[in-house]
Amino acid sequence: MNIFILFVVDLFALFSVYLVLNLALNFQLGYGGVPNFGLVLSFTGGAMVMGWLPIRILGWLFKIPESLMSNVAGNSSIIASIINTNLQTNPLLGLGILIITLILGMAFGAFLGFISSLPAIRLKSDYLAISLLALGVILYYIGLNYFPLVGGTLGVVVPDLYTYFGINRYIIVTVIFFIIIVLLIYILTLIVNSPYGRVLRAMRDNEIAASSMGKNVIKIRMQSMVIGSMIAALAGGMYASYNAYFGIAGYDMSSWTFIPWLMVLFGGLANNYGVILGTFIYVTLEKLIAYFQYNLTFLPFNVIWLQYILLGFLVLIILIYRPKGLLPEKPSQTLSKNKVKELKS
Amino acid sequence: MNISVLYAAIIYSSMLGLMSFGVTFVKITSNVWNVAHTSFITFAAYIVFTFESFYGNSPYLYLPLGFIIGAFLAIIEYLLIIDPLRKRGSSSLLMLVSTIAFLLIVDGIIDIYSDYLQNIYKFPSKNFILSYLDFNFLGFNGIFLFSFTFLIIILILLYLILTYTKFGIALRASVDDPILASVTGINIKYVNIFAWFIAGGTAGIAGALLPMWTQCFPGVGDTFLAIIFSVSIVGGVQQIYGTFLGSFLIGFIQIFGILGLSIIFGSSILVYQYLIPMIIMILVLLFLPEGLGKINFRKIIINIKKRRQKK
Repeated sequence: MNIFILFVVDLFALFSVYLVLNLALNFQLGYGGVPNFGLVLSFTGGAMVMGWLPIRILGWLFKIPESLMSNVAGNSSIIASIINTNLQTNPLLGLGILIITLILGMAFGAFLGFISSLPAIRLKSDYLAISLLALGVILYYIGLNYFPLVGGTLGVVVPDLYTYFGINRYIIVTVIFFIIIVLLIYILTLIVNSPYGRVLRAMRDNEIAASSMGKNVIKIRMQSMVIGSMIAALAGGMYASYNAYFGIAGYDMSSWTFIPWLMVLFGGLANNYGVILGTFIYVTLEKLIAYFQYNLTFLPFNVIWLQYILLGFLVLIILIYRPKGLLPEKPSQTLSKNKVKELKS
Repeated sequence: MNISVLYAAIIYSSMLGLMSFGVTFVKITSNVWNVAHTSFITFAAYIVFTFESFYGNSPYLYLPLGFIIGAFLAIIEYLLIIDPLRKRGSSSLLMLVSTIAFLLIVDGIIDIYSDYLQNIYKFPSKNFILSYLDFNFLGFNGIFLFSFTFLIIILILLYLILTYTKFGIALRASVDDPILASVTGINIKYVNIFAWFIAGGTAGIAGALLPMWTQCFPGVGDTFLAIIFSVSIVGGVQQIYGTFLGSFLIGFIQIFGILGLSIIFGSSILVYQYLIPMIIMILVLLFLPEGLGKINFRKIIINIKKRRQKK
């Protein structure tokens, strides 16, 4: 495959994963006002399900010897290669397992969102954010130290659920991720423009006013945590399935909480188009730096570090001079576009 | 009680206290959760490593440099980011995010610096520890003496400053009601700069001590991020002393708790010790959401005395 196409496809895959994660954060923070600094928790949860489940289901389906299956984490590369050979003739099975795992991962993410919000949800603003941040690392420590779960520090090989498509694997991944993004944006747009979306914004803007109107603020805040965590887990599942590998060391707070926060604020909070723009700018920057790093080997350091410095500066400039981001929030649509046109005419 | 475990618990708690103190102090005085605090710790560790690699001597000699670099970074952060944001009326959440951006910048600089040391001077800057240079005095090693002593000194100094000096009274006044304090002529900006200076400086000292205690690498401070904030939340952000209570509570429960659990469940449980601060934090959030600092110990002691007198 042409190196340029590979670059674009890889860029799109990372963009898709970050976009889904950032849309989750935008739903929680931008619309619901819940500062989820534990975003990495449900993201890791979704990826962990992808690392844990398909290999076990497919190992059982393809009758992989018990001697190997008794230590799945330790033998994951051998088991996954046997599974991949079998999946090459079963495209629908691969995609079916992918969909089931993504859904179960989302359910697990929702559960994590609910559990993590229990002790902290009554707290406010930055205090809530810091509590969620501290809670966010729990799964990381478990995954890192409990080897049978997902291979500890070594990680596990995830069966390649797109293996049937061979050289076109990356194109298929792009198509699937694109469908997920379109569906997600459509559903989120419907939600935020619905009466429920307006309740979310009301709660975000003035909790007291919202509760005086009879809205259960704690319950709605929990719901936004659960829905957002579900979407974040979807991103985690997508990421692990794309890499066909799960290694807990790659699920750090900086990459999967801090950077999404900065991307969302950079693009524009409570504006899904702003989030798309912010995500696109960051991911393109990251991929370009990674792509050209080998042309800059004369420098006494890895240029990859420049992306963090650059992102940090960009966000600071935005926060100081344009605090609402590149594309600020717009009023919610209470009427359909056709209805608006009709009224205008 | 095994004395070596007690010894390890005191060192761990003291280091936690030194690392967390600045986070709480800045939260109290400026109402900002400073996530970039951990990068000050890492930076100071690298400064000590650099000086030790070039000039030798005991790493403890370079502790003042750690303090200076931590304080310098904190003041830069305050003047260039926090103060302009505050003037624009930014929320505390937005300021928190700005500290993350600053963290990324400083972490990026540390990574570049670490690469530079490795590629140009061939120093093992990606992973280093200096504990082999530690000294022993009357059976106590340097890290124990320095971490615990510094913690006590900071506690006493702050108590004296906050209680007996005009500046301390101004600081407390600006914390309680910044608008009223500025009306009475207190320069809030100077008070905040002082707070950030002290907070950054203590983080710098913690960072300078870090290579004597544990393995260091770029981002080593960030690995303590969740624990530092747990200590701050457990201690509460109403009283500076809450952090010290929080750090010793978490440090002791973590060390002794995991040891107790290992007796029941076997040594494989030892690796989960870092979950203990989170569990304590959850319990505190559920039952004492304002942290240990909110507990009125004086009142409790008076009540106990009254009960005894009645008996």
